[in-house]
Amino acid sequence: MTDTSSPPPAAEVLPRSASPVTPINLVLLSLLVFLVYLRLKPAKQQTLPKPPPPTVFRTFTPPELFPYNGLNGMPVYLSVRGRVFDVTAGRNFYGPGGPYANFAGRDASRGLACGSFDEDMLTKDLDGPLDTLSDLGDDQLEAMRGWEERFMEKYLVVGKLVAVGSEEAKAAAAQK
Amino acid sequence: MAGVVEQLDSLIADLLAGWNIYTTLLLGATAGFVAWVIYEAQDADTHPLLLARQAQASYVRQPGESAAYRSPEVPHGYVLRSGLGVKVPGAPLYSAGKNGDLRDIWRRVTGEIPLEKNVPHAPASTTAGPGTATIMTVFGSEGATEHSIAELTKEISVIGQHLKDHGAKKVALYLPNSVEFLAALFAAAFYDFTPILIPYNQPHPTLIELLAHTGADSLIAEAGSIPLADVSKGVSRLRSVVWTVEKTSRHMDWNEVPEGIGGKIDVSVWHQLVQDQKNGKPELPQGSGDAPDIIFLWQEAPGKPAEVVQFTQQNIAAATGALISALPSPQRISPSDTFLPADSFTQSYTLCLTLAALFSHATLVINSVAGPGVDLTLASRKVAPTITVISAETAAKLHSTTTASVTGGLQKLAHSVETKSLTAGRLPTDSFISRVNAPTRAAIGTTPGKLRLLFVSERAGHNTPPMSSDDLSDLRIFAKARVIYALTAAKVAGAVAQTNIYDYRRGVTPANKHSHFGVPLSSLEIKLKDTPVHKTTDDGPFGEITVKGPAVAGGEASLGVNGTFREDHTLAYI
Repeated sequence: MTDTSSPPPAAEVLPRSASPVTPINLVLLSLLVFLVYLRLKPAKQQTLPKPPPPTVFRTFTPPELFPYNGLNGMPVYLSVRGRVFDVTAGRNFYGPGGPYANFAGRDASRGLACGSFDEDMLTKDLDGPLDTLSDLGDDQLEAMRGWEERFMEKYLVVGKLVAVGSEEAKAAAAQK
Repeated sequence: MAGVVEQLDSLIADLLAGWNIYTTLLLGATAGFVAWVIYEAQDADTHPLLLARQAQASYVRQPGESAAYRSPEVPHGYVLRSGLGVKVPGAPLYSAGKNGDLRDIWRRVTGEIPLEKNVPHAPASTTAGPGTATIMTVFGSEGATEHSIAELTKEISVIGQHLKDHGAKKVALYLPNSVEFLAALFAAAFYDFTPILIPYNQPHPTLIELLAHTGADSLIAEAGSIPLADVSKGVSRLRSVVWTVEKTSRHMDWNEVPEGIGGKIDVSVWHQLVQDQKNGKPELPQGSGDAPDIIFLWQEAPGKPAEVVQFTQQNIAAATGALISALPSPQRISPSDTFLPADSFTQSYTLCLTLAALFSHATLVINSVAGPGVDLTLASRKVAPTITVISAETAAKLHSTTTASVTGGLQKLAHSVETKSLTAGRLPTDSFISRVNAPTRAAIGTTPGKLRLLFVSERAGHNTPPMSSDDLSDLRIFAKARVIYALTAAKVAGAVAQTNIYDYRRGVTPANKHSHFGVPLSSLEIKLKDTPVHKTTDDGPFGEITVKGPAVAGGEASLGVNGTFREDHTLAYI
């Protein structure tokens, strides 16, 4: 009984003094440094992508307007009473394969006035004078004006249409 | 499979075995840092994408010029702002209001036309009726003394009637910033003569030449500031002179006319005219015809040749309305603001902002220490303004003197902490850190920290010192206020373009060059016309700045300087 109640042996190993360099400390320290770096990093300015450059207003003659019918990646233009409208937004109607595709790249005034998409509403001779619309009645001109107002509200005016050989065509060609 | 999991397990156990007091401290620090970041996170004053594209360009441009750029307040297809939108009492609530002119601004000052409802910070309507603006003047080292609006109305009617009786058609005002200046300006609108605003402190030969060139037939000036004999010899059309006399010199007799002039010139004294009519009732004419034009002189410095510009009342009203609506409604001039113009009234930008302050029933404090190069600390010595207008020279001087006093690492650290806050899009406020370690502030006003808005005007073509975007950001910290940089020009009333009030971006333009000027005002649109050197291409618009709109003298004018619109659609010099 006497020997078994000896006091427990003194702890042989002293408690290890806490060392700051342990794996977990290094992990946590690097995490803290990384968070502080993220916080102090100068933020990048937010920008928006550059918009498309504005379209240049142009004086067209009928042969120059003709390629703008939506084929080969060209935009779709049509002309009403001397004003050229960019109707690429209405490609489903005026682009290739659409119901009004005849109007693309042409002077559509007579067709809109008479409400017809036939081929004979368009001027055949692109080098000739523009269609004067002098033989149209009042209600047809009224209809065309209504169409023109709708176009003015919906689409952008990007040019004007003049006949080949007229004064404005020569001035525009000289400026280029 | 089981072996991998066991290895992973023992790896993690080994890692966690090294847990000690330092680990707990580090974990606490990380958690505290994350919590602090979440706690002090605030939204920017405005969405950064709103600053990424500011002005609106039209979709079509004519060859030889760029697209037309407008403020987002007036999109393409809408009319530009052409006036103040004055609604007389009794008009339907949602009517547009008429353009208005200086007479309507004075009627608003007296309370005849009340402020709109729902104006922030407006005093609650009392039984005394609609409120009025407050006009005070600072005299030297005394504080500000308030003027009675009824007395001012009487002065306007007396002076206007006097000049009208003498057949004055073009009255030259050669005064420093003072309440007499404003009274004469309003009298011109009511009594139908054209005021010519001559910048103060001219050498006498230049003054005589300017008076002769503009065809003045009357003159209002400070007594003793000009030699009447020389002026009457040089200006043959001069017929009447009104002296304004400061209070301390009123005992002297200023009615004397030097010899040689004879009966040609009639000399009167302002305070005597007002005193003679003391018992009369102030009655302003109620006519509604067109009020006459105002002639401004655009001059680089006193003594240099001046460009004569004639603005109609609509130009001034459009510019004032555009300056009012350029600020978002929480930031607009309100009846609780104190407005101190520290630049001369002969600049149309300062005058239009002063009229805007009067129109909004703010407290206007007039100090004759005002001009292009004045020291803002001196000008604001006895008042605590909340909004002020200064010229680019004053801003440069303020910046350089305050930067020179930023010494020591701690102040620089505080400055850079606040700069970081500005770059993140927030105006630095009194946070714990800035109270512990405050950055250097400029001494503006008696009560530091009341200034909330600082307008800085740059004059096109006048070799003014450039304020870069870094300088403007430093000014925001020094003045602890928002700073707006505006481009002004000769033929444009008010400003051509003004930066967004919440645009604190730095480094967007090269240092040592002018910062960008923001968006055009809503009273005009800007195009850049091709010059032989600068042309507009698909890469970007470059050219000579041309403006068009109701605020431009003659409808359309070219500024004579080249500019471009940057990626974020703000105007800048090339």
